[in-house]
Formats: sequence, structure tokens, C-alpha cells
Amino acid sequence: MLTTAPRLYIRRPSPTTAEFTVTTCPPLTLPLRLLLLTLHLLRLVVAAAAVLTLYSRFLSIPPTTTTTTTTTTTTTTTTTKQLLLPPLLAGDVPTLLTTLLQAAHLSQPGVFLTALAAPVADWAVALLSLGALYAAVCFQLHKTESVLVLRGLGIQTCSSASSSAAAAAAAAAGTLGWWWAGKVGGGGAGGGTGSKSGWGTQTRFIPTEKIRDVLINEAFRGFEVRYYLIVVVEGEEELVVLFPGLLPRRKIVEAVWRGFRGCLVEGEGGEKG
Amino acid sequence: MASTYNIAMVSDFFFPQPGGVESHIYQLSTKLRDRGHKVIIITHAYKGRTGVRYLTNGLKVYHVPFFVLYRSASFPTVFSFFPIFRNIILRERIDIVHGHASLSSLCHEAILHARTMGLRTVYTDHSLFGFADAASIFANKILKFSLSDVDHVICVSHTCKENTVLRASLDPLMVSVIPNAVVAENFKPLDYSKPLPASFRPHHPPPARPLGPHDMITIVVISRLFYNKGTDLLTAAIPRILENHPNTRFIIAGDGPKAIDLEQMIEQNVLQDRVEMLGPIRHEEVRDVMVRGHVYLHPSLTEAFGTVIVEAASCGLYVVCTQVGGIPEVLPSHMTVFAKPEEDDLVAATGRAIAALRANKVRTELFHEQVKSMYSWTNVAMRTERVYNGICGAISEAEFYGYDAANGAGSWSATRGRSGVQSFALIDRLKRYYGCGIWAGKLFCLCVIVDYLIFLFLELCFPRDQIDICPDWPRKERKLDGKEPG
Repeated sequence: MLTTAPRLYIRRPSPTTAEFTVTTCPPLTLPLRLLLLTLHLLRLVVAAAAVLTLYSRFLSIPPTTTTTTTTTTTTTTTTTKQLLLPPLLAGDVPTLLTTLLQAAHLSQPGVFLTALAAPVADWAVALLSLGALYAAVCFQLHKTESVLVLRGLGIQTCSSASSSAAAAAAAAAGTLGWWWAGKVGGGGAGGGTGSKSGWGTQTRFIPTEKIRDVLINEAFRGFEVRYYLIVVVEGEEELVVLFPGLLPRRKIVEAVWRGFRGCLVEGEGGEKG
Repeated sequence: MASTYNIAMVSDFFFPQPGGVESHIYQLSTKLRDRGHKVIIITHAYKGRTGVRYLTNGLKVYHVPFFVLYRSASFPTVFSFFPIFRNIILRERIDIVHGHASLSSLCHEAILHARTMGLRTVYTDHSLFGFADAASIFANKILKFSLSDVDHVICVSHTCKENTVLRASLDPLMVSVIPNAVVAENFKPLDYSKPLPASFRPHHPPPARPLGPHDMITIVVISRLFYNKGTDLLTAAIPRILENHPNTRFIIAGDGPKAIDLEQMIEQNVLQDRVEMLGPIRHEEVRDVMVRGHVYLHPSLTEAFGTVIVEAASCGLYVVCTQVGGIPEVLPSHMTVFAKPEEDDLVAATGRAIAALRANKVRTELFHEQVKSMYSWTNVAMRTERVYNGICGAISEAEFYGYDAANGAGSWSATRGRSGVQSFALIDRLKRYYGCGIWAGKLFCLCVIVDYLIFLFLELCFPRDQIDICPDWPRKERKLDGKEPG
């Protein structure tokens, strides 16, 4: 329900440009949007819970008594607000995060989680929460791969893992990555032909002069024979496979190939058998 | 009658490996394509030859990988080939699976799976086998298993048919004989000129090439130098032939474990100037070697057909050969001198051949035209197509099997259904397999049941509508059944 077989979208912003996108994401209807939103919230909650469990185990402060905890909670909540504001204004992220975590740890769900994880061994807690964190953050629901064809310039392949409906966790992690990159000082991104930008998105540009040909080929893969699109690049041993992760079916592959030829090769019409 | 089929040729043996079966499959496929059928070839991956390939004329070849552990462990691979085989069959929309060569396990597996999938199967046997030694018994059992449920069998000669019928306990009616053929254009005599139009031919036959009494006669031998090709016989006969006949010499091409014996013989008898050993040669070079000689000597001990003697006759050589296997069926008597497979008779027969050539009694320059009219791949393809028509029910049982057989059809096979077409029902198939032997029958039934279960599992896990259909290579216009030469 949440995913479909690979579908093809063709976008033609100008007569000399075409973008072919193959995605497993079904058309976004309202129920689907709501469902996806719920799913992302769920992911966020799971990720937060995992981090919190790890944090409380790291602190290893066993809750003494329920009564004392509740009293401390009430006292801390008032102080948290005062504590949170200055680092937020100053942009001091580590302090902000620790304060947030401390607050969550002392809150009701935090206490519940700590109690829940109490009988479990340290290593098991570490393993489980790290696993949950990984699954929540890196879980890819939809896969999207696209090829942008620019006549006279070349083609750009792009494969992204996450869906277009920006995943909250993914976005957060992306921001974190950006912040870290800024701190280190390596600001520039996307030099050369291939680069990794954003979250799990891989792009590659192949200039027209390097493209020898675009072909449909068939090969054995697992227990079946598949059709796939390849680009023969000059000076490279390996062929470049388009849509390598999705390997759409013959109908899509043929449609892309025709569009490709029509757009890339000047003088040929839009359709070429 | 006018229907065309999608045919899959399955064999372990195909190009780039050279050999008789390989070229048979290629030639037959090409000619069937010319007749408007669609033909694909399924073989295993060779070194540097994996995946899906097209040959120059659009013939599609699947070199299936993952057969690495295949000789060592034969049994587990009985079923491992099935998923990929099913995929290929479905995407190419195959109707008929045609297996070649009895030593090819890929072929036997394909026949089993094809029957499970409900396809028609044909099997072509290219070789003769013994019944005595352990390896033959095992091979025969495997053959019996695979042929229990085949629709039709094609053999390359009548001797081969007899052999196969005995080995696999088949009904002789479901075995056809379709001989091999040669591409006569590739085996022309040295001074060959295009024959004149038919109206002039009786008055102007090609000029005879008389041999003087002291002209050198060259005897050519081209074979792999193995025991079953009669190399021992050759080793014994050569010194005696050369002793009896001055002005003769030998050219021997080919390689094998017996080459060392021949070399020893040459050194012992000091025949270096009269026996030339060429070593291994490529198939394209065979003609160039053949046209250097006058007599072709074929001392083989067992042979299902012997394409090479047809090639030799086509090159205008007088053929001396042992009277074994399917050889006597191959050439008319005026082109050959037969010998028993023993030393004395081989020497005598060669002597007779040399004498006949010296007396200019043999018109070898006419052989090429005669062979050309006898053997053509177009004819082979026509006859094979008739077999396809027969098993698919396109021609009636009476027409296919003969009227006598059709009259008694109800009685001669309990499991045979409508118009000589084998029933696909699992229970009928099991009946056929169960008769293979006390233990073997039950084992074979088990295999068939497992195969069927795998088939159901595959239908569930890899549904048919998830498999892309291949576009066909543009088919040739179907030729009408005109009278082809030969």
C-alpha cells in the first residue's frame, strides 16, 4: 500500500531537457500523506526513545523512589525553560542537547523507559537501542532514481533513498551533518563528477562528449533475466547502469530509452524506433 | 500446417567450443529461422562467454551462468536450473524444447522441466553407446529417465536409432531418423567450377582428372586421435599400406592421446618423408587439408553418423572407411570402400581404393555435386519441422506415424493421448516414469514430484505476469513447402 512497483515520471522543462524519474512512491493522495506523516512521527518517537534509553543507561542513575522523582521533575521543568533559552539563543548546540536530554530523562516517559530497561543487561540495551535508532533513521520507504538529460551538456544520474515528503528524522540528521560540516570548515560540496549530497542522495554527471552510446541490455540476475539501460562511457571499463537499484521493467526501460535518444541526440525527432 | 513455433535448443555443447553437435545445432537453428520459426539456444556459460548474446543472424544464445560445480555434483543441479529455465521459457514464449546430445545434463534437465511446465519436447541423439561398462549403464539410466516422457526423439542414423531405442526402451515409432548434413559450399574440390546449366550438363560433365601410374597418391586422415576413433588400427595399418604401395603418402591431422603412438610408429619405420603430421587444425582448415589428398581413410571403431566422411566426399576424395555404426548408411557405394574394423581388411581395402584410383575407375570430380544434392541443412530443417508438427498435433497421427500404426493406436501405448500426443497430466507422467525399474522407477517418480512442487512454488513466488516478454527478432517470411533439392 505504501509502495508500488517502479513508476516512471517524465518532466520536460524545456525542449532540450528531460528528466526521467523512476520511483516506488505511489501518487500522493490525502490518506497516503496522513499515513506517511504518522509513519514519520512514529520513526521520530522511536529514534528519540532509543536515544533516551541509551542516555539514561549511560548516566546509570537508577530512579530512587517515585515520589522523590516526581518532585524533582516538577522542580526541574521550571528550571529547564530557563536553562534552554540561553543556549538556543547563543546557538550552543551541545549544551542545548544535553539539557534537553536531561529534561527528557527526568520526565514521565523517561522514567517509564528507564524502569522498562532496568532488568535488561547493559549490552542488550546498547544493542537494541542502537538497532532501533538505526532502523528509525535509515529506514527507506521509497526509492527514487532519476536521470536528467540536457542536450549538448550531458546527463546527470541521481539516486535518492528517501521519499520526497521530507522525513523529519532524515532532515534532522541532515541538518546535524550540515552543522558538523560547517564546524569542521569543509564548506564546499559537490566538486567533480560524482558527489554525495544531502541525505543518501548520490549524483553523477556524465558530459556528452564522454557518452558513446545508450543501450538496452539484458543479463542474468539472480534467477531471472532482466532488461536494463546502460550508458557506454568513453575511457571507462565498466558500463554505467541507469536505475541500478530499481531495475524497472521493460516497458519503462524502453520509454526512457526512446526519450533519451530523442532528447540527447540532436537532429533526431522526439520519437525514434 | 502453416503455424510457426518458438523453439529452444538446449545443450551443454555450443560455440565457442568446436565440434559436430555444436555446428549441428547452429546450422539447424539457422535453417529453422529461415523457415519462419523463432529459435533460441540455451547453453551453459563458457569462459568469457556469459549472459545473453546474439549471433550475427539474430540467433539468441543464453549462456546460463552458475554451472561451476556441475560435473562434480550432478544430482543437486537437477532442480537448480529450473527457476532460470522457467524465466527464459516464459519470456521467450517457447512452445517446443529441443535437447541435444546424450552426455549433456543440461539437456536432460531441460526436458524434465519443460514437461513439468507443459511444453512439447524433442530430443536429438548424436552418439552411440555401449551397454556393458558401468559408465554406460549409468548414462543409459539417465537417458531412460529423461526419455520416459519425451514427445519425440530424433537420431542421426538408423544404427543410432536402434541403439537409442534399446538404451532408453523407447517405442520405435516415436524415434525418427534425420541425418546430419554438410554445408557443401564450404567443402568444394580444389579445381571446382560452377556447374553449367542443367540443359548442358549431360553433354559436358566436369573433366576427369586422370592419374598417371607414377603420380603420388595422398591419403588423408582427419580425426581426433582417440581409441574409439581407431587410431590404433591406423598405427598398425600405415606401415603396411606404405610398404605395399610406392608413391603414396599420408597426411594426418588432429590431436589426442594416441598421437604419441603414431609418432613412435613413424620413427620406428623411418617414414618421416611419407607421413605428415599436422597436429590440431581448426574446422575452417579441414577443407584445405582434404583437397591435398585423393583418398580419405576413416578407421573409426564407433560412429553414429560420421559427418567427416561426407565432407571428404564433398571435397572429391575417395573414402575408405570401417563398416561400423551408422557409417554404411551415409554415402552411396560408389564413393566408398568398406573395410571390417581390423588391420588386414583395412590394408586390403586401402589397396583396392588405390588400385581403383590408379585405374581411373572412380569419377571423384562428380562427388561434390552428388553430395550437395544428398545433404542439405534446409532438408534437415524441413524434416525436423515435420516432427514439430507431428508432436504438436498439427498433422494427424496417421500422417505422422504411418497408417498402420494409427490403426492400432489405441493399443500400443496406454499413456498416449489424442493423436499421438503425450498427455501432460502428472499421473500419466508418473506412470511412464514408474516403469523405468524397480528402484529407479520410484526414484524417478520422486524427482518428478519434487520438480512439480518446485514448479508450483515458482508460480507462486515469481508470478508469470512479473516476467517481461522479449520482443521477437524480426522473423523471416515463411517459405512455402516447395520441393527443395534433395
